[in-house]
This record gives sequence, C-alpha cells and structure tokens, in this order.
Amino acid sequence: MIPPNDEKLSPPGIQASAKGIWTSGGLWSSVWRQFKRSPISLGAFYAVCLLILMALFADFLANDQPYYLRYRGKTYFPIVQNYFVKLRLSQWPAELLNVDFKKLDGAETIFPPIPYRPTNIDLSAPFESPSSRHWLGTDKLGRDIMAGIVHGSRISLSVGFVAVGIAAVVGVILGALAGFFGSWVDLVISRVFEVMLCLPTFFLLITIAATLPPSIFLIMAIIGLTGWVGIARFTRNEFLKIRNLDYVTAATALGVSTRKIMFRHILPNALAPVMVSVVLGIAGAILIESSLSFLGIGVPADTVTWGSILNEARSNNFAWWLAVFPGTAIFITVLSYYLVGEGMRDALDPRLRGSR
Amino acid sequence: MGNYLIRRLLLLIPTFIGITLVAFLVMRLAPGDPAEMRVAGGLRGAGEGAISRDKRGDLDEALAQWRAQYGLDRPLHVQYAIWLKNLFTLNLGESFKDNQPVWSKIRERLPVTIKINLFSILLVYLIAIPLGIYSATRPNSLGDQLTTLAAFVLFAVPLVWAATMAIVFLCGGDFLYLFPPAGVTSLDYAPEWTLWEKIKDQAWHLFLPVVLLSYDGFAGLSRYMRSSMLEVLGQDFVRVARAKGLSESVVILKHVLRNSLIPMVTILASILPELIGGSIIIETVFSIPGLGQLGYESVLSRDYPTVMALLTVTALVTLVGILLSDLLLSVVDPRIAFGKRGQ
Amino acid sequence: MRSVAALLWIAFVFALSGDARGQPAEKPVTGDWLLWHLSSDPEQLNPLTASDKDSDDISQHIFETLLQRDARTLELKPYLAEARPSISKDKLTYTFKIRRDAHYQDGRPLTGEDVLFSIKAIKCPLVNAPFMRVYFNSVVDADLVDDYTIRFVTKEPYFLNESVLGQNIRVMPRHYYDPQNLLKDVTVRDLLGDPAKLPESVRKFADNFNKNYSRNPMGSGPYKFSGWKTGQEVEVVRDPNYWGNGKAGIEQVYLDRVKYRVVNNPDAALVTLKSGGLDAIETLTPIQHVRGTVSERFKREFQKFEYFMPAYSFIGWNNDHPIFRDKRVRQAMTYFTNRQQMVKTILFGLGQVVESPVYFFRPEYDKNLFNYPYDPNKAMELLTQAGWKDSDGDGILDKIIDGKKVPFRFEFKIPAGSSTGKSVLLVIQDELKRHGIAASVRELDWTIFLDDTKNHKFDAAIMGWAFQASEPDDYQVWHSSQAVKQGSNYISYKNPNVDRILEEYRREFDEKKRIELYRQFQRILNEDQPYTFMFVRKAVSAVQRRFHSVEVYPEGLKPLEWWVPRLAQRYPRKVMVQ
Repeated sequence: MIPPNDEKLSPPGIQASAKGIWTSGGLWSSVWRQFKRSPISLGAFYAVCLLILMALFADFLANDQPYYLRYRGKTYFPIVQNYFVKLRLSQWPAELLNVDFKKLDGAETIFPPIPYRPTNIDLSAPFESPSSRHWLGTDKLGRDIMAGIVHGSRISLSVGFVAVGIAAVVGVILGALAGFFGSWVDLVISRVFEVMLCLPTFFLLITIAATLPPSIFLIMAIIGLTGWVGIARFTRNEFLKIRNLDYVTAATALGVSTRKIMFRHILPNALAPVMVSVVLGIAGAILIESSLSFLGIGVPADTVTWGSILNEARSNNFAWWLAVFPGTAIFITVLSYYLVGEGMRDALDPRLRGSR
Repeated sequence: MGNYLIRRLLLLIPTFIGITLVAFLVMRLAPGDPAEMRVAGGLRGAGEGAISRDKRGDLDEALAQWRAQYGLDRPLHVQYAIWLKNLFTLNLGESFKDNQPVWSKIRERLPVTIKINLFSILLVYLIAIPLGIYSATRPNSLGDQLTTLAAFVLFAVPLVWAATMAIVFLCGGDFLYLFPPAGVTSLDYAPEWTLWEKIKDQAWHLFLPVVLLSYDGFAGLSRYMRSSMLEVLGQDFVRVARAKGLSESVVILKHVLRNSLIPMVTILASILPELIGGSIIIETVFSIPGLGQLGYESVLSRDYPTVMALLTVTALVTLVGILLSDLLLSVVDPRIAFGKRGQ
Repeated sequence: MRSVAALLWIAFVFALSGDARGQPAEKPVTGDWLLWHLSSDPEQLNPLTASDKDSDDISQHIFETLLQRDARTLELKPYLAEARPSISKDKLTYTFKIRRDAHYQDGRPLTGEDVLFSIKAIKCPLVNAPFMRVYFNSVVDADLVDDYTIRFVTKEPYFLNESVLGQNIRVMPRHYYDPQNLLKDVTVRDLLGDPAKLPESVRKFADNFNKNYSRNPMGSGPYKFSGWKTGQEVEVVRDPNYWGNGKAGIEQVYLDRVKYRVVNNPDAALVTLKSGGLDAIETLTPIQHVRGTVSERFKREFQKFEYFMPAYSFIGWNNDHPIFRDKRVRQAMTYFTNRQQMVKTILFGLGQVVESPVYFFRPEYDKNLFNYPYDPNKAMELLTQAGWKDSDGDGILDKIIDGKKVPFRFEFKIPAGSSTGKSVLLVIQDELKRHGIAASVRELDWTIFLDDTKNHKFDAAIMGWAFQASEPDDYQVWHSSQAVKQGSNYISYKNPNVDRILEEYRREFDEKKRIELYRQFQRILNEDQPYTFMFVRKAVSAVQRRFHSVEVYPEGLKPLEWWVPRLAQRYPRKVMVQ
C-alpha cells in the first residue's frame, strides 16, 4: 500500500508555494472559495461532515433505548437520561433499572431507526441476511450489522483524528526544527526520518500492536508515532523555503525571538500545505486501523469496528453482507477524506487557480 | 561526486544504527515471554495428565534454562551488542521455533515474495505510465478527470476488503470458483509438468495476489506520472522542441517521457517497505508461504531473531535502494548539484 | 494413457458400488497415498526439541515407543518392549525387556543402547528440550541390565509413571543421532548434576543434536521421512522393510505415502479438499460442518466423522477476588450462562455441556452431578442473598465489602485468537449487562495471558484444558499447593478435602478405588463452582470415501491403519526408494 500523503509520492512542485496567496486577509476563506468550485470536493466535504455527524449522534441513530418513553403515567427520555446517569447527575428510577425497554408492559415508546446497539446479542438470530428487521443483516451472535457500522464510525474517526493529531504534533515540531535550524539539527533529525522511512511501517505496527494489550488508545498512539514522517518532511521543506524569504530575514534583523519567528511567522504560512497531508493522513490512519482489526490485532474484543466485522466475513464466507457493508463504509470514508485532501491541495495551488 | 558519495556513505552509519536499535527494542521491550510460548506448545503436545508432581517449580527452571540457551537472561545492552556483532558477520541468529538459521528461513521464503512483488511492480508500471501520459497530455479533459477519480477510488479501496471480497465471491465459497483461495501452486504441482502447465498453474494462483497488491500502486503511480509529466511539459526545453517544429508525439515520447520517467524509477526503492506491509495481508489471506507470512507468524510466536532480522533486512535493503536511486538521480539529472540536496 | 483413465473410471464406479453394499469384504492392501491437512507448517521434526502438535503427529509415524495405548480400550500394550514392564515392590523401579526383532529404517537393529541413549538425550540439560524434560523429572536413573533390557528408577510411587516411560520416550537410533557416541560414558545420574560440570563431549553432542536434526528424522517406525517443502508439505513414505510388517500385535500400515499439506486458511482447505488436493480434514470448522459440506455431491465423495475431543473449556473465577470468593456469586454466574444455547448457536451443536473437569466419557466422570440450568432469576436471587443490589441507581449492582462500596465490575481475560471463547464471553457480557453487572472483555496475546493467569492477575478468564483420554490426574490444577505463585491452580482454589482426595488418588494403584475418589472430588467442585465448566467440543472430520477402516477412537481418527482397495487407488505406485 502506498499512502498518497507520503511525500515521496506527492508530485514535485505541486505543493503550494509560500508566495502570493498568504498576504491577503483570509487565507482559508480564499481556499474555501477555490475549494467550493469543484463539485467532487464539495460532495466529499459534505460526506465527511455527514460521517462526523453520524459518529457524534450514533447513540441517537442506533440504540436499544427509546428516545421517548411513557410508562406508568410518567414521561422519560431514556437515551438522554443515560448520559446524565453516566455523569452521575441523575439516577434510574427503580422500575426502569436494567430493564429491557422493548418488553415493558403498557409503555408508549419511540425508538431510534435502528433499535439495537452493536453489542446486543441475540443468539436466536445468527447470520440473518439483510431484511427489514436487520437492514444489513446480523453476525454470528445475532448482532445488528447496521448498528455496528454506525457505532464503528466513532472508532474509525477517532482513530483517524487522534492518530493524525499525534503524527502532526510530532511531525510539525521535528520538521520545523530541522527546517529552521538546518545544519547539524537538520542532519540529526533527517537521520531519524531516514530510519522511519526505511523501516517497514506496517510490519512495525503489527509487531507493536500484537505484543501489547489491545486498546484503541494504543492503536491511535502507535499509528500516530509511526506515521509522522510524511508530515515532518513537508514541514521541513516548507520551513526551508520560507526561512529565506524577505519577511523572515526582516524579522530576524528586527531582533524578534527565534521561537516567535518559528511559530508566529513561519508556521502559519507553512501550515496550509501541511494541512493537506493531515487530511490525507486521516484516511491513511483509518485504512491502517481497519487492516489491524481485520487481522484481529489491537482492537478490544468487546468493541465492534468496521475491520472486525470484515474479519468475521473471512471465516464465514457465505455471509456476504459481513464483507460488503463494512468494507463499503471504510471505502466511502477513506475516499471522502482523500477527495477533500485533494481538493484542498488544488485549492492551495496557485497555478491551478481558475483552471476549473 | 566523490565527496557527495563519501558523505552519503558516512551518513548511512547513524541510520543503520538507528534501524537496528528500533528493530531490537521493539521486540525486546514488548511484553510476553517467548519461553512461555514454547511451554504452551509443549503442554499441548504431551497432555496434562502426565506431568510430574512438582511440575511448576521444575518448569520455571526449564524456562530459565531455555532463556539462558538463547542468551535472553543477559542485560539488554549486552544482548544488543552481541546481536549487532553477529549482524556484521552476516549471522542473523537462530530461530526460536526450530533452531534453524534465520537467514535460511528467509532465503527459503524470499523467492515467492519477490515473485509476487516483482510482478505487481511490473503491472503497476505497465498500467501507470501509459495512464499517466494519457492524463498529462490532456490535462483536465473528461478522460483525465475520470482517470483521476478512478485513481482515487482505487486508492480508497481497503486492501483487506478487496482481498476478503475476492475470497468470498471468487474463490470457491458459495459463489464463484474462478481462482484458488490459497497457495502459489497447485498441491500436485510436479517438476515433470511441461513448462506451459507450470506457467499456467502459477499464473492462476498468482493472479489475485498480484492484482490485489498492485491496484492502489498503479492508482498512485499514475497520478505521480501525470504530475511529473505536467511539470516537464511546462519547462522551456519542451517549448523549444515544439518551436523547432517537432511533432507532438516525438516531443512527448522522446523528450518529455524520458525526463519524467526519472522520478518514476527512483521512487521504486521507497515503495519497498510498503510492499512488505501489503505482502503481510495478502500472504495471510491467501496462505502464501512468503516473507510477509513469516513475519506475521514470527511476531505472533515471539520469534525474536526472525522478526528482528526481517525488520533490519528490509530496512537495509530500502536504505541501499534509496541511496542508489539518489545516486542515479544525480547522475541522470544534471540539474541536481551534488551535496546540495536535502538529506 | 487412455487405458489408465478407463481403469480409474472403473475403479470409481466400483468403489461406489462396493460402498453401497456396505461391505468392504476385501483384505486390506497396500498402495495409494493420503493427502492429510495441516493448518500450519510443523515447527521441526526432531522428536525431542519440537513442541507443536503437528510435529508430534508426524513423528508418531516415524518413531516408536516401548508401549502404546490400545486405541480402543486405552490399555497400555507392549510395542518395542516385549511386555509391560515389571515394577518393583516399592513401585520405584521399572524394567523393560526390548524386542529383539526391531530395526531402524536404515536396517540397523534397535537395542537397549538406543533406549538408554534416548532417555539420556532427554535428560541432558544442554539439549534444547527443557519442556519435554519436565515430564521426566521423576526419572532419576536408567541403566542397561543386558543389551535388550533397560531399568528405570523413579523418584516416587505414581501410577502414571509406567505410561510416561512407556509412551513418552520416542526411541531414537543412537548411531544416527549421536554418531560419535559422545554420551557413551555419561550416566543419567551424571546428567542430573550441575550442567556446568558436564564433560566437553556432552556439550559437543548437544550442539550437534540441537542444530542438525530438525528436518531429517529417522526412526524405527513404519514411515520414512522423505521430504519437506517449507510452508507447503511434508512427505513420509511407507518403509517396505519395516520390521513390524506382518507381525502380530504390531499395527500394520498400508498407504504408500502420506503427504501432509499445509493450508493455513480453513476455507481454502475445504476448497482444496473438494477439488481433490486433500483427502482428509481432521477438524472442519462448525460453520463448514453445517454449510459447505452438506451437498449431495460432497456426501457422495466424502464421509464425515464426529467425535469428542479430550479437552474442555471453562470460565475460571479468581477465588481470591473480593467479588468471586463468595460461592453464591460463582453459582449465580453459572446460572447466568446459557450453555445449552451457546452449544447450539456458537458451536452449531458440536459440543456437550459438562459439569466437571473429568473427560465426559471416562468412567471417572460422575453423571449424577447437578446440571446448572440457564436461570437468570435464580442467579439474581443468589446475588441478592449474597448482598448485591443497586443502591445508587446508576444501573450497576453494588455491595459493601470490607467496609467499602464495591460496584459489580470486573474483567474477563481471554487469549487472542480464540473466537469461540470470545463469542461465549460476549454473550455473557451482554447477559450480565442486562442485570446490572458491568463486565469487560480483554483479549490478550497468549504469552501475556499465560503470564497474567499464572500470577493470578485476573478477575475471570476463559481457558481450556486438554488432556489425554486415559486416566486423569488433576493434582496440579486443583491442589491448594499449586495455588501459590506460578502453579496451575490459577484461580487459587483451596479446599482441604479436595487436597486430601487428590493426594490419595495419586498413590492409589487400584482403579476402582481411584474412580470412587474422583467422584467425591467432582461432587465438591460441583457445589463450589470454582469454574463455570463450559463444554467438550466435537470435532468433525471429512475423509474421502475411498479409504477403508476409517474408525473413530477416543483420541480421534487413526489414519495409520487406513487402506484403499486396489481398484479405487488414485495414485500410482512409485518405485520405492530403497
């Protein structure tokens, strides 16, 4: 697999150059104007927004508790109340403590469109193919696949964001140091880049993830810590370019402190192209996470992820719905991020301005 | 040139140490005990009932013996030093699993992995280059936009998904049986077969792994080729060539193509680590006895020497590959001044 | 070419009709191959240093032991020995007389010297077989009385010693594994001493033995090792000069060649089976059993065999844990576990719920034990009795233990890769959640899992014990002395009555009394519920129909005795390599 955010693959010269577009007031608003012009990018952007909304409101889309419950003359909002109980701001009344809301006698309820949680087990309905009861079918334990996909988006997205967040922090700092100071600092840090570039990342990831106890946070951390090289090299190159520009020289002459120059004056200008690789990196991290959980590495046993559903398809190869749907979810997510990233890259490239 | 070369070679040393250090520490700092792994196997083999009374105390002693046999009881830095020393004498150690030299295990698995990767690289280039040329010569045409979109779509298809779908739908499950679900040759593959039979059989087995391993590669590379061409097309000498009245196809094929192929060649080295990653998935899904599978199994069975050797060897090959491609680049591309390139 | 094809076709028809009449009235004949499935490459084929099951299975064809268990009755019977050993009065010395007609695959005779060499190699601390050595800790000395008589001395009386000596020593040719006879002057007693003081010759032997015999086994068995393509197949061929050919009491083999073919992925294995690339799969996955192997076409070509595997799975509750040290809580946990439904859905019916650690089909198993049904109400009742209730309305039960309010939260541990175990725990987790108990499931890498359980660092864990179908001995799992750090009594179960019974059992050489003792032991466990015993699983094998004499024994299938009628044989006879 060749991640597209890798600097090796990013075409020479297509990155935004530092000159020109920064000076006018809102860089991002001009980028946005440019970005909007491509219907594909815009569509992908909306898809990303939808996915984020789905992750945020997963509890309201797929849940075994009702939105609204009228029971013994009282009205409840169990899904919302659940949040409060968890925060210890509220308590369940005795008659609703650990009950099955679907089997309450004489209760009036409104359930979410998918009335299951991904962990709800129904041993009487294993391997059901898609139907009106289970839109995308069930797995070997009768768990609803649609619920798994809705809630799985939380894992995928949070892994994507956090892992790339870690990678970005590490990458930007190291890249900035290398690019700004040059000489031996650059030499040392570049050696670290080289080591990371040469090591087979995925193999390294498997080695670490398979030997440590499974946890989502760990996965985020190791994907982040093995994935920063691309961002770092980008940042370094940007810093190398920008530090020789007139305004930096001027700032230095005026006696502005090094830290201030680095983070106030150079970083914001270097950030735009780095953002592109961050967005692409999210897609990469989601792909890696799904590969790991496909191999059954690193994801806790009681967590349903897209990759773990896919993994089940491997040993139950008649249940095509286990293969098709989670894969489609990964695919759409990754594609959306790629297209958004690509749109940003185009929008940032002055040479392509107005060509579409 | 001489200076540049010496400088590059000197810089290899810290990188080399860094690589070995990472490979060593990743394995040695991981929790879990390879000795216990062996016991687990031992118990399974002989059954529980037959173990003598004071078994556990004895077993601990056995574990200690085993660790001592492989030098695992020494301080970490001593272990590292010994390992490094052996590495220099090209001794990669012995596998915990069967006491075989790690190198012979790698050598045994190498041909399959090389074969699959070679074919997929070939396939990648064969498709990516014409596609890139096509796109670059008609920038922003419908065809270009379609290939761009197709490239992104392919890029976004998770390898694990594609592989699972192939297994579910094409490899003799409830659906079609077009390709074999496992292996690199038929089980009754025999040396007596005619060449044609052999080729046919191998092609049948390798088709899916090779295609799966390469689809995202040609997606990425065609994009790369496109932009590399676009860049060359924008340069003065192309304008000059056109002004001289050379036909467009001559300009493209002779001048532009040659120049834009250079980065395509040099990228080869850095693809290697990614290919190993892909090999792990493909070889696991299709039960192919190659390096990826060896690596994955070795990780799971805590076969330290094998894992460390695989990490190190791949990294070193990549390192040398990058060095060679940089040198190549500086030879063919006079615009690159020696010594001034980024490290 | 054409005549061969025609012949094969006739053979096929004949095989079918022969089968339909259901009377393979022919005498077994030699010939044909068996393509046997392995799910991974064996580690190595040195019978001492290998530790995986596949290596062990292959070694069984190549090496032999002094005694063997009868596949049907599980009685020990002489094999390389002329008779079962004579045991001294103090039950410490075992003397075996070795057959004079046995020889190795290279034609050299098998003598007492080889048996002595084999035990020396096992006991040699420098040989890379520490785990094999553990089984022989009770052996303190061995010497030759004459060329064909060997005497072993053991540390203490123990009824399983005969089986260890007779069944676990694979006799290896001294002249092949120690060509320079480096161990000649060392005694077993010497080898027990300080390894550092051993003579240089022993070191030299061990080095050579560890390194150079991983992939070239040679023994006295009916099959010769003939090749190994890494990750693909291991091949053994029938030795036409096998010493036991035609001898009474020696199991005869007929198949000319056995190829062990490695196919990692079970689905790929099934496809390969159907296309003729394999002749047998020992364990189909449950899903393959209920789908994929049910078509008429499949049934025409393959026969399926079901049998129970000598192993059981269980959930171990850490008996020292503040929550689980209460017997009522452990009983409640068993009531929460819908084991029958799990057998039906998760195992597709391929299993049997058990209530004790004894193999379900042993005479020792007590069939009158109380069967805990699935009964969440009864479970909640027990928990209420034990003082658990949700006093703060947060949806999770709690109780004051040692002056502190403890919520009913705990963690299941499970070794990675155990998909059935994982399913079981997820079902229980969901069930418990509905009743206000928060359980999490944590999958751990096997070695880490082992480490944690050994050190009693767990609340609850799902595991399995495998054993032989012969006499059980659960001392190391249930005796309180084994509950200290590193013992196999991972759950820290301590019951003085159980301790007493287990000690008595080991010294008892009378089988009837042993059975009675063991039934008492099971009744105590049944009440205490230190484990929630889950089930013994059924294996389903698929075997190509051309094989005859395919039978199911307590330990499974025995491909060594299969044969194929001449006309049904699929593979040509090749000229044997002499």
